[in-house]
Amino acid sequence: MSARAVLADPALPVALALVAALLLLASERRQRPLSGSLGLLLVLVPCALALAWLDAASWILAPLVAALVAAGLARERPDPLPGECALKLVWVLGGAFALTAVGVALLALATGVTAPPEQWSVLRLGLSQRMVWAVALPLALLGGVVLLGGAPFHFWVADLFQGASAALAPLAVAALQALGAMWLVRRLAGLEVFGDGAVLAGALLRTAAIAAFLAGAGTLLLQRRPERRVGTLASLQGGLALAALAVTTGRGQLDAMVSAWLVPWAAHLALALSGAALLARLTPADPAAGAPGGHLFRRHPLSAFAGLYALFSLAGVPGTPGAVLWLEIARGLATNGLNGLLIALALGWLAAFATVMRELREGFGAPTAVRPERSVPLPARAALWVSGAGLAVLGAARLLP
Amino acid sequence: MRLLSHLVPGPLPAGGLLCTAGLALVAMPARFAPALGVELLAAGFWWWARASDEPAFQVPRWGWLRRPATALWLAAAIEVALLGPAAGFPMPPAALAFWSRVEAIAIVWAALELLAALPLARPFSDLPGPLLAHGAWLPALLPAAGFLLLWRQAPRWLDVDEVREGAAVLLLLTAALAALRAYGRRRWTAGLRWLVVFDGALAGVLLSSGAVPLWVAAVLWIGACGTHAYLLAAELGGAAPRRGPVMAMLWRMTSWISTAALGWPLLAAAGDLSPRRAVLTLVCGGIPIALASWVNVARLVEAPERRALARPVSWLTPSRIAPVVLLGGVPMALASAWWVGFAPRPLFALLALVPAVLGGALGLLSVHPAEAGRGALADRIAQHAARRLFRLVIGLERALVSGAERLVRVLAAPLRDLHTGDAQEYVLFLVGVAVLAILLPLLR
Repeated sequence: MSARAVLADPALPVALALVAALLLLASERRQRPLSGSLGLLLVLVPCALALAWLDAASWILAPLVAALVAAGLARERPDPLPGECALKLVWVLGGAFALTAVGVALLALATGVTAPPEQWSVLRLGLSQRMVWAVALPLALLGGVVLLGGAPFHFWVADLFQGASAALAPLAVAALQALGAMWLVRRLAGLEVFGDGAVLAGALLRTAAIAAFLAGAGTLLLQRRPERRVGTLASLQGGLALAALAVTTGRGQLDAMVSAWLVPWAAHLALALSGAALLARLTPADPAAGAPGGHLFRRHPLSAFAGLYALFSLAGVPGTPGAVLWLEIARGLATNGLNGLLIALALGWLAAFATVMRELREGFGAPTAVRPERSVPLPARAALWVSGAGLAVLGAARLLP
Repeated sequence: MRLLSHLVPGPLPAGGLLCTAGLALVAMPARFAPALGVELLAAGFWWWARASDEPAFQVPRWGWLRRPATALWLAAAIEVALLGPAAGFPMPPAALAFWSRVEAIAIVWAALELLAALPLARPFSDLPGPLLAHGAWLPALLPAAGFLLLWRQAPRWLDVDEVREGAAVLLLLTAALAALRAYGRRRWTAGLRWLVVFDGALAGVLLSSGAVPLWVAAVLWIGACGTHAYLLAAELGGAAPRRGPVMAMLWRMTSWISTAALGWPLLAAAGDLSPRRAVLTLVCGGIPIALASWVNVARLVEAPERRALARPVSWLTPSRIAPVVLLGGVPMALASAWWVGFAPRPLFALLALVPAVLGGALGLLSVHPAEAGRGALADRIAQHAARRLFRLVIGLERALVSGAERLVRVLAAPLRDLHTGDAQEYVLFLVGVAVLAILLPLLR
């Protein structure tokens, strides 16, 4: 196995993201009893496993992981915020899954089969009424779109980053988003044989991606809390996955797209969110112009840079591994002449870029003579370094022969 | 960590290092170099602003510098992802033309912002830079970066006709406003900052006119901008170019000739245009050139010698060598332009000299007035009128921009409403979108 293959294996970044989460759990040991930490570990490990073996993930994993995350959040006491977050997650994702189940059931009723490729083959024969499948298809896709967290379903991602522990949120969000993308892949498999369905699904995915980029870009510029900014950046990543699916849907290239783009995207997302979410917790929220920098930035500037690298990669800043993912989708959209979606992607990228540069400036703030006395806990700094270094390795892996 | 804090240079050298690296990158033809260069320039100003005595005031003031950097990142991304050889995939011709135009607009937008040619941050040259000691000089870096960008990225925007023509009109307007403001300002340093803007804008018009090869326009710009930048820098260190009648006259001549040389090819080339456009070019270009020539000659006031007995110094001082260097390129550039085919009609070649000669001559008259008092009064009234006119234009621009901002804010208000925070509303929203998702395909 070549060095590049080892470094490009999604298991490595996911393992590093898990290590970062464990380090954070260790740093939070005083605030949380051992049983609480073990409970979170029971959520984190399945999330990491789902991400590491994403291409083998079944559709049932998505509701299972969502339920596990909600249960993990509900156990977080005495802080009421994670509990509220769990409630929102159950309501939103529960509603989405219910509507999706209706769509899937309608398709099964209309075709008499349950496997999606067989359903498209039956629908191609024109034996079912258009109204039935035209209603069922968007509903069947809704669960995946909501899980991807693209606007207008972006609120749950930002809520999770603000409400959940910094150890749990990154892996949970990355796993849910990746499983949402795989949900769509599984539902759209074999759709190329059914032209009308491919046209409808392509239009829906394009519309969802454009909405995700435009509303995400607008929301990102208005966000004041750093945690919510990271959540909206994750929503833009969801828009990126929707754009990738819009390019390949109906062309019979879904499997190739999963291995070439979706799996590395999910692994990168997990690692980048690990660093970015923690950095957001250590960045001053909406400081006044010219205010002194944050504690981490003044006391440990190199660790802050490691966290910023993760944030930059999430936003697709050139020179980071995240930028490659954005560029690949841009090229795919250009080749297929999807200019409208490409413009929306460009606007989303510019908003993300502007936001992370603002984060950098606000983080370092104005210099002061006063050096913070207390240092940021070592495990938290180590988590930032694990995330930053892991992303640097991912970037270097692309340069290897 | 303490070692790191010792290794990081102070604000002045750190910002200087960032700005120097930024300007060097802007002048490089590599794909991401201009974007990184302007980003470093913005970072340099931010570094100075945060270390200034009033960071709460200075940091937001120079925050606009990230805008041109963002535009250039977009241009670089388009080049890398879609247009450049690295893209390596077939693209529909219509899409190719569309994205080439977007790239040209992004580059010109960035350059125009730096050259104070857009109404968003036009009056930045009115105020000194973020550092108290060297602040008066710093804003001159930005128009210089703007022109460098236009010059080095010329192949990416000159071929797009509507972008080139739009840029020429905006730059001509900027040159006129800059000359007006340089005339209206009482302080010589503020006037010089506006003359640097004038040089960059006029050189940009020369580039877009295509009258002379690109490098000739660049050499002429170096002469004019270099003169004003040197004078500005010298003001912070004893105003050596203004000490004594000989030095003052030498620098007046340098400043006037370099400005005249920059404007002459533009006006002389008007002979090749249609009669209507020729008149328009001569009038719109001639008036600012005449005004700038007047400011160059009349405002460079001789500074009195501070010592009773002048200190003996070598004849070869920088202030004596610099005019030779700055003027050296002018005849070479014009001769080269002629050599490669720039041959304006004789009548237009003579007409093109009139604004600079007239402005310079009137300026010289006001330096040595025949009748003291009356001329000074007229000058004061004209200066006052120039200030009023400039403020009127800026006020109108600001009103337009703030109106557009308000409109965007109203349109973006629903985005805020998406974050009401009530979980019940989330579910209602989800149901609404699901219903829409069902209805839309049925309506097709």
